[in-house]
Amino acid sequence: MEKIKITLNINDKPCEVMVFPNDTLLEVLRDELDLTGSKESCSEGVCGSCTIQMDGKPVRSCLTLAMEAQGSRIRTVEGLASKDELSDLQQSFIDHGAVQCGFCTPGMLMTADALLNEIPNPDEETIKKTLAGNICRCTGYAKIIEAVAHAGNPREHCPDCKTDRNTRE
Amino acid sequence: MSDYTIIGTRMPRVDSRAKVMGKAKFTADLKLPGMLVGKIKRSPYAHARILNIDTSKALALPGVKAVVTGKDTEGVKWGVFAYTRDQQFIQTEKVRYIGDEVAGVAAVDEETALKALDLIQVDYEELPAVFDPMEAMASQTELIHKDFPNNVNIHVNIDTGNVDENFEKAYYIREDTFVAPEESYFQAEPYAVVARFDPEDCLEVWCPNGGPHMKSKPLSNAFKIPLHKVKIKKIAIGGAFGGRSEICPADYICALLAKKTGKPVKIKFTREENTIGTRQGHAMITTHKTGVDKDGRVLARETTCYMDGGAYSSTGPIATSVPFLSMEQAYRMGSVRYNGYRIYTNKPIRGMIRVHGRGFACGLDTQLDMIADHLGIDPVEMRLRNSRQPGDYTSTKSYVGSCAMDETILKAVEKSGFKEKWGKLPPFHGIGIGTNSVQTGFPMGIRGGSQSFIKFNEDGEATVMSGVVDNGQGNDNMLVQIAAEELGLLPEDIHLVSADTETTSSDPGSYSQVSTFVGGHAVKIAAQNCREKLFEVAAKILKTNPEKLAAKNRLIFIKDDPEKYVPIKKVVRISLLNFNSVNAEGGYWPRVDMKREWVSNPYGQMCEAFSFGTTIVEVKVDPDTGQVEVLEVTAAQDVGYALNPLVLEGQFEGSVAMGGQGGMLTEYHEWKDGRCVNPTMLDYKLPLACDMPKINNIIVESIDPKGPYGAKEAGMSIAMSAAQGYSAAVSNAIGVFMDSFPLTPDKILAAIKKKNEKVSP
Repeated sequence: MEKIKITLNINDKPCEVMVFPNDTLLEVLRDELDLTGSKESCSEGVCGSCTIQMDGKPVRSCLTLAMEAQGSRIRTVEGLASKDELSDLQQSFIDHGAVQCGFCTPGMLMTADALLNEIPNPDEETIKKTLAGNICRCTGYAKIIEAVAHAGNPREHCPDCKTDRNTRE
Repeated sequence: MSDYTIIGTRMPRVDSRAKVMGKAKFTADLKLPGMLVGKIKRSPYAHARILNIDTSKALALPGVKAVVTGKDTEGVKWGVFAYTRDQQFIQTEKVRYIGDEVAGVAAVDEETALKALDLIQVDYEELPAVFDPMEAMASQTELIHKDFPNNVNIHVNIDTGNVDENFEKAYYIREDTFVAPEESYFQAEPYAVVARFDPEDCLEVWCPNGGPHMKSKPLSNAFKIPLHKVKIKKIAIGGAFGGRSEICPADYICALLAKKTGKPVKIKFTREENTIGTRQGHAMITTHKTGVDKDGRVLARETTCYMDGGAYSSTGPIATSVPFLSMEQAYRMGSVRYNGYRIYTNKPIRGMIRVHGRGFACGLDTQLDMIADHLGIDPVEMRLRNSRQPGDYTSTKSYVGSCAMDETILKAVEKSGFKEKWGKLPPFHGIGIGTNSVQTGFPMGIRGGSQSFIKFNEDGEATVMSGVVDNGQGNDNMLVQIAAEELGLLPEDIHLVSADTETTSSDPGSYSQVSTFVGGHAVKIAAQNCREKLFEVAAKILKTNPEKLAAKNRLIFIKDDPEKYVPIKKVVRISLLNFNSVNAEGGYWPRVDMKREWVSNPYGQMCEAFSFGTTIVEVKVDPDTGQVEVLEVTAAQDVGYALNPLVLEGQFEGSVAMGGQGGMLTEYHEWKDGRCVNPTMLDYKLPLACDMPKINNIIVESIDPKGPYGAKEAGMSIAMSAAQGYSAAVSNAIGVFMDSFPLTPDKILAAIKKKNEKVSP
């Protein structure tokens, strides 16, 4: 098998990369482009750790061939923050204690971010259903669900929502 | 109210930022120059003699850099205790389970490494295999390990005396048997290891671990190099749950390949390998015989447990004891006799897991409910009559300094509305309670204590060094919180160096709930010692006595006159100019009975503190499908002192998911002739976001006299009691006391059917 040169649009940057036709997008991201934020856990599309976004939709990068991703806008966890400024969702994960071991976190964030872009204020049932494809072994999900619900929608009663976020350094 | 400003707060974890940005590096993310790919060849047979291994074809394959077999290992064996060293890192004579390590390969890429595995020719002579502990004990075929008659690996016998006499005095006695198969950890991160020898011939290893010092010692032994030449490096860890506490054969194989090739090598497990080639929980068959007086107080108990120990021992004596200990800590018993047998079978290796034996714990609690039912006592009263009290000694002679078990019961009962619901819920709607206790550590000999070093930098910020590892539960944050509190700094002023055997001192590891109690304690003492040095100098600057000073917010000030202060940075600089050290150390060693030993002397002070948990669960069961819908879970734990309620709640919720929702409803392994048929995430059903019920967390504080700030541990007694609560709730819903766990729909339907057959003649 010969490697082929393809161009992928990742986090708003064109990346030229040599791939084998059977390379998964996850392999190319991690091994060729050093974007190791996306994780490999089950390798069969069950756990969601490798979730990235293609044209705004959450996609399993372990089941997607790199070749298929040409022409799509690819977003990985490394592209969520603008420079060092975290997105509301990332900050909410931190503030609500939604991160424990952190291995599922990138995939969780990419799924939740896609949801919030579509429905800015989702109810709990919608969040639970949407995250059903992302397995977390540490948290029991409660804090993740809360973090997604309160991201960009700080609640007054919540002890972990920083309602004065904009004024914080 | 306390004067603490940093501990006790809902401080978000210091490690979260790197994790949400995708910057945190886990072992599989590492890339070193010239790194090779390592793979392990595993046994396809459950029990077979190795006749010959021919590696010549594999070695001839272009791109293959090294092949190692048992011949390269000098026959070194692993086991936590001298008397459990029965596992070679690569087998030389026999294989004992499907997945046992027989060879390792290092190659330029994964494809080549996999091809090379296929080219290694192993000739086996198949031997009869046993997969059931009871059959293994009776087996007349070749023993799994020749020095262990009847394949009995470990026998723990505990007898407090007077058991038979007290049974005679009992008003009511019953004997019941409970069973549960193996469960797996399913850490989010599949196991991975990177190893290399540096230019000074030091072995550097990155891998998920439950304690770096637990990895360095066996590697030092195996390679016959001094401990200071084994550097286990800090790395982000994607969960452990008890499964990464000891050395993994892959660590050794990876290091051996690195040695042979002179290059860094990475071995990355597949999900299936993570299930088969790392540890699992033990399957258990447990019989509890309990005698009570008229009021339901336990006078005598006899428990016999048979554990499927798999192919090797390792932590066998601990695994055989802890299920019993958790229950003897939770409940008073007039007298007790325990016989725990851990039996070798031709199944994968087993170790400690977050819930120490579903069949054991849920069986004991179910039996208490059965007895209560017989005597007409409600389950809450039954537990209150038998619950552990502060100032007690456990049956095996551990003093219990702090205990708020009753408070956890009463608070959970109130919050869940148990009293209003018990006996009044409609058919197939149930509520149940479970209670449990776990220990914070046990006698670990030379590695029982933890030491910490703190150094101040001239800018007034500090570096804290501790051997404590963070598997994901938040230990790094715990250490930073404690150091910042004691030093009077802000968390961002602390740089933590931890879990690295080159720079940090010996520590018991994140093992047996000991990190805060021992490791956190050591940091607290080191920070206090460091503060004392600063106060000496500050007192001179402020013209007062050191005892009159306090530190907060980067300032040292006079307690009664806070307007008089000096910045810590200034104190550090003046100290250095005046030839004063601004570094300090501190250590903590729990005062346990060092003569206590798992098998030879299972009596004496086990650890300094015990946590206590109660979980109440409300469920609905669909009588047509056997599906369980969990409506609400209320989890209350006596944690000693809540160092960080935000982190604690996360531990409670994770414990409910793993111990209750997964552990009691969906998680178990299935086998065919020793082969695990559900090793992947597709087949092994883990709880999902949409499965989880509402969880009420109740933090109970008993301020332990020995714990740092009174803290004990976070969440383990919830994981255990959640399993019990789930089982009690389902039993209550269907009106049948269940004795086989987990409670899968087929078992629930069968129980309902059997009950209906009994009712309608």
